[in-house]
Amino acid sequence: MMIDFVQGPLIWIAVGLFLLGLLFQGIQFFAVTRKREPRFLTPEAQKEKAASRWFEEIGRRVRRLTRRTVLGTHPFLIVITSIFHILLFGVPLFLLGHHILLDSALGVSLWSLPESISHAMTIVILLCTLFFLGRRLFLARVRVLTTAYDYLMLLITMAPFLTGFLAYHQWFDYRTLIFLHILAGEVLLIVIPFTRLGHMIFFFLYRFFIDSEYSFVRGTRAW
Amino acid sequence: MSELKTTPIDQKEIRRMLDQKKKKMKRLLSHCVHCSLCAESCFLFTAHHQDPQYMPSYKAIQSLGKLYRKRGTVDRDFLERIKKIVWRNCVLCRRCYCPIGIDLPSMIAFARSICRSQGVYPEMDGSPAESWL
Repeated sequence: MMIDFVQGPLIWIAVGLFLLGLLFQGIQFFAVTRKREPRFLTPEAQKEKAASRWFEEIGRRVRRLTRRTVLGTHPFLIVITSIFHILLFGVPLFLLGHHILLDSALGVSLWSLPESISHAMTIVILLCTLFFLGRRLFLARVRVLTTAYDYLMLLITMAPFLTGFLAYHQWFDYRTLIFLHILAGEVLLIVIPFTRLGHMIFFFLYRFFIDSEYSFVRGTRAW
Repeated sequence: MSELKTTPIDQKEIRRMLDQKKKKMKRLLSHCVHCSLCAESCFLFTAHHQDPQYMPSYKAIQSLGKLYRKRGTVDRDFLERIKKIVWRNCVLCRRCYCPIGIDLPSMIAFARSICRSQGVYPEMDGSPAESWL
């Protein structure tokens, strides 16, 4: 009974809550922020802007993005975290097994990665998770900020990948593991919009829409 | 000033202020993933041999975060402790970097406003700079 629910309706409930939650957060973002005030340029700056050519403008933007950034301060961490975040989407989205299920349920599927590549990527994700766990445990500056909630979030993020990895290898009881895998995936989808894992959408909202020193583009909103 | 120091803390007023900005501040506090990447952007952090208590996120969580967690039910001692964080450990230069884009300075500034509403702020006139902190 429980298994039927988790493998059936709960999947759609989780996907629905995930999408609605993201939409809700997006709408709330625009409700708590306001349109920023217009910028006024001095006559000299206006003249300079009018005289600058398009390639100079691009050069200025590239310099803005590549000047001393956090990539320079923590190159190793930034590389690890970038790989981790890309794979976090890439692995489940292009996994062959998921597409076979999607095809049988809806008759549609995306392009899939070869299984060996997905497998290797999953190992990389698990290693990255261990790296983040190590930071939380052994780095004083992260440890002072860490609470039990942070470990829980790390566990929720890692659980679908760990159970999927074990199920793929058919270690332990396959049926139990695949049940846990589906449940873990659903839990992750449901909690993303309502917890700090929501930085999946907040990152883009805050860094692209809010106008600040560190925004990627000239944002249109202000707090 | 001495009158202010002895007057009781108006917790109702603190709660009113906290509620006023709740939507934004709770949002910012709950979105911090505790990654510590903001640390190097604070010149006080680098100047104090990378002491974690100078990290922007730590300062925001320990001041405003605690005020929200206690729902404004705080005493003068508590606000005096926060005073050290938001005035001595932060100069509000507004240069803190957050990879997610959390507006850290506004949290510190708001914690200052709450302290100030209860007469808790550094006394600049007369006494040597060290004494007010």
